[in-house]
Amino acid sequence: MSCKSKYSVALALGLSMSVMAYAQCPNRPSSGTVVADAPSIVSQNGLLSAQFTMAQSVDNFGYTHYCYKYTAGNQVVESPTLRLNPGDTLALNILDRNTPPEMGGTRMDMSPSGTPVCGDTGTATVSSTNVHFHGLNVPPKCHQDDVITTLIQPGSPGFQYKMQIPAAEPPGLYWYHPHVHGFTEFQVNGGAAGALVVEGMEKYRPEVAGLTERVFVIRQQFLVPWVPGPYELTVNYQVAPLLKGVEPIIQMKPGEKQFWRVANATLQDFLALQFQVNGKPEQMEMIALDGYPLAQTRMQNTISIPPAGRAEFIVQAPPTGGTAAFVTNSVSTGPTGNFDQEQTLATIQLSHTADGHHMPSAAGAADASALKFANLSEQPATTQRQLFFSEEFGGTNGPIQFYITVDGQKQKVFEANEKPAIVTKVGAIEDWTIENRALETHAFHIHQIHFKVLEVDGNPAPHQDLLDTIEIPYWEGSGHPYHSVKVRMDFRDPSTAGTFVFHCHILLHEDLGMMHKILVEP
Amino acid sequence: MRMLPGVLRTLFLAALLPIIASSGLAQTRYIITNDDVGFPLPNGVSFFTENTQGLLTFQHQLNTGGYGIGGGYFGEHRLAVANDGQENCVYASQAASGNIVGVIVSSLTVGGVAFGSTTDTGLSNGIGLVTAGGYLYASFTDPNTIGTFKMQTGCNLMFINDTTVTGLNGGVINAMAANGTMLVTSFTDGSIASFNISNGTPTSNGDEQISTVTRKTYYASYPNQIEITQDGHYAIFGDTSTATAVEVSNISSGKLSPTVAYGSLLGISSSNILLSPDETILYAVNTQGDAVSAFFFDKSSGRLKYGCKSGPIKGQSGSWSYLASAALVSDSGNGGGVYVAEFGAASGIALVRYSASGTGKCTMQEDPASPFLDAKSTGLLSIGTVTH
Repeated sequence: MSCKSKYSVALALGLSMSVMAYAQCPNRPSSGTVVADAPSIVSQNGLLSAQFTMAQSVDNFGYTHYCYKYTAGNQVVESPTLRLNPGDTLALNILDRNTPPEMGGTRMDMSPSGTPVCGDTGTATVSSTNVHFHGLNVPPKCHQDDVITTLIQPGSPGFQYKMQIPAAEPPGLYWYHPHVHGFTEFQVNGGAAGALVVEGMEKYRPEVAGLTERVFVIRQQFLVPWVPGPYELTVNYQVAPLLKGVEPIIQMKPGEKQFWRVANATLQDFLALQFQVNGKPEQMEMIALDGYPLAQTRMQNTISIPPAGRAEFIVQAPPTGGTAAFVTNSVSTGPTGNFDQEQTLATIQLSHTADGHHMPSAAGAADASALKFANLSEQPATTQRQLFFSEEFGGTNGPIQFYITVDGQKQKVFEANEKPAIVTKVGAIEDWTIENRALETHAFHIHQIHFKVLEVDGNPAPHQDLLDTIEIPYWEGSGHPYHSVKVRMDFRDPSTAGTFVFHCHILLHEDLGMMHKILVEP
Repeated sequence: MRMLPGVLRTLFLAALLPIIASSGLAQTRYIITNDDVGFPLPNGVSFFTENTQGLLTFQHQLNTGGYGIGGGYFGEHRLAVANDGQENCVYASQAASGNIVGVIVSSLTVGGVAFGSTTDTGLSNGIGLVTAGGYLYASFTDPNTIGTFKMQTGCNLMFINDTTVTGLNGGVINAMAANGTMLVTSFTDGSIASFNISNGTPTSNGDEQISTVTRKTYYASYPNQIEITQDGHYAIFGDTSTATAVEVSNISSGKLSPTVAYGSLLGISSSNILLSPDETILYAVNTQGDAVSAFFFDKSSGRLKYGCKSGPIKGQSGSWSYLASAALVSDSGNGGGVYVAEFGAASGIALVRYSASGTGKCTMQEDPASPFLDAKSTGLLSIGTVTH
């Protein structure tokens, strides 16, 4: 596959490059400039081979940046978009060149005695890292998508991930980010997250064929660099100012339709996206959610994306003379949740010279029933389970305990050496009802598989989408039922065998233990 | 003297009755709040009066000349009430300023302001207060110390020294209560401990332990606010939990014994508790829920039995997020219910009435006139009563 746009850096792969231990992350774009897509690394002849260096630095404003640096010749880029086809192999080397923490810093025993070790040994710290390929339906194995035992330590020779994208992998937007339990929030907040595209959407949703494609990764950073708390959103690393400042600019031709792929890589922000034209929300044509093409496109003027979720949709710029903006509306996440404020993410600048990467123009007619999980609703469930989210607060500022519990088990926070909370077998199809008993909205995520949404609050889901992350609203208090979802989990594929995790994808919650293991026995 | 509000009713009655008797003056009972207002707004203590039905009217806010943090641990009492030998005083902590203000109740003026050591602050989670035997003890959450202050006339305090404390697993000091020569503390890791304060400065009794509920729930619940019975036989802990959980430790030996747990699944958390004057009822505020529960307490055996729970307190998610500390509606009998601090953007005080409805049965119900807005507060957690 060739390089696709002037925004992409066509990086010939298979190059054997020596990675330099740069002390600094690359500079990030200035406020009020035109938003560029991240450079892409594209698979060649069925292989995408690359080496990332995890680095950290502190910018002039005091923000600690964590970054996946990719170096090709004289070019150093941050968090490139990985582009692969179903069936391709991803070979990704990771070097950890974070600054080792001073002695006495916070540490977590990732691999207590008796548990397997993948990669480096020792205790995890804020400078340790690993990678989770969020949404990919790949095995939970060492060197593939394992986060429980994989540890990459600062200064170590490196670690290689190598996995094959399943031939039946749904085309769409995925993402990668660190997942060291206890420290995920720090590195993702610092910017260590990037997009991964499984190509071929035009074969399933011909509406996107030939359109200009944009990939936007919405991240966040704390408003005061050293204080976890209020935060501001960024669009491809450009700050979307919450209070004052100049907004990022997205260029479109007047009247142009573009295919936008948006990843919510924030720590905790529930996005409610709108494309406003002349101050009013326009209809957007929704194509895919969480990297899975919708059975039918849907017209919506607001698209909700929980933390870690993705949405892919078509927007149309106004004709010359019109104004437009990319906005996220306010979202109430409950009395103990974060208030996600309404803000403009970018203003749309109409320009006849606007350009970008174009989707392939030859729309295919691929058989969607051949995609993974396509026939899941027709399969009977072999097991029913109930789970619930809950929280405890010892004060308004904490300490807080975050739990996800299998009904009937004791509430407890995740521990690295815990036994799996759920044990099942390859071949199982399970229906999980997940309640939220907390006064805060949570975002349920399970690794390795997509799930099918069957019910919301006990009623059939209007769109039985296949997702890997789902929002469960907060409990409104006594007299109100708990909000819940019922989802169907598919463990038929032998590649799901192994131990992996399910958790809340508000990363503070995950870091503090709102997570447990599931073992899928062969 | 024990900290507010556990025994203030008895102390003040004892302290004030001779004066009242000699002067012939009627008493005024105030419901007081530490408004806990953060920078740049000035902090203060607000005074409310009750009518004969217990309904509150805001009377006055005394600017205490410092700043709070608008939050922190639920179990801390940010107010303590005591007599300094001459005056009736309300002591209020100011977490952001790192000091304790002594308010002269008779004049509603600031008597003195005291600081602990240079490292004593409560910036992250507040400063808790308790008085006993002429001393005031302040829990500073950031350095994890108990500061000892000698009470002096004019509601002044003199800093004596700090005692460094910690939970068995590194927990931060959370709540304190005192009775006689015993000071009992809870920590955020589920540890509880007691100290001998007969010589002023706390000395460990060597009984620090992890609470029974904390151990049994794999550290999923932990003791928060503390009450001690008037006879000093039992220490009662309200737990931060996903249920209503209360623990009782027999302390008649002068040390904490392993706690016995009581609870109910009907309420979320019970970080704040309060014993009734006759010690027959333990009120448990469902801190994360939207209700107040009541237990029947047998002060001879230390046993608790779940009684009842109020309906939803009005305004959750709208005007307030958490319920916090409580003060008694009445200084006699079963207390008649509680005033409860509502923490939120529109902080207020809920009035929840208690009534017995037959043997072993009870009801708790929010008064239709509740809540009473504390317009001066942006993060109400601590309330109490004082009589003048």
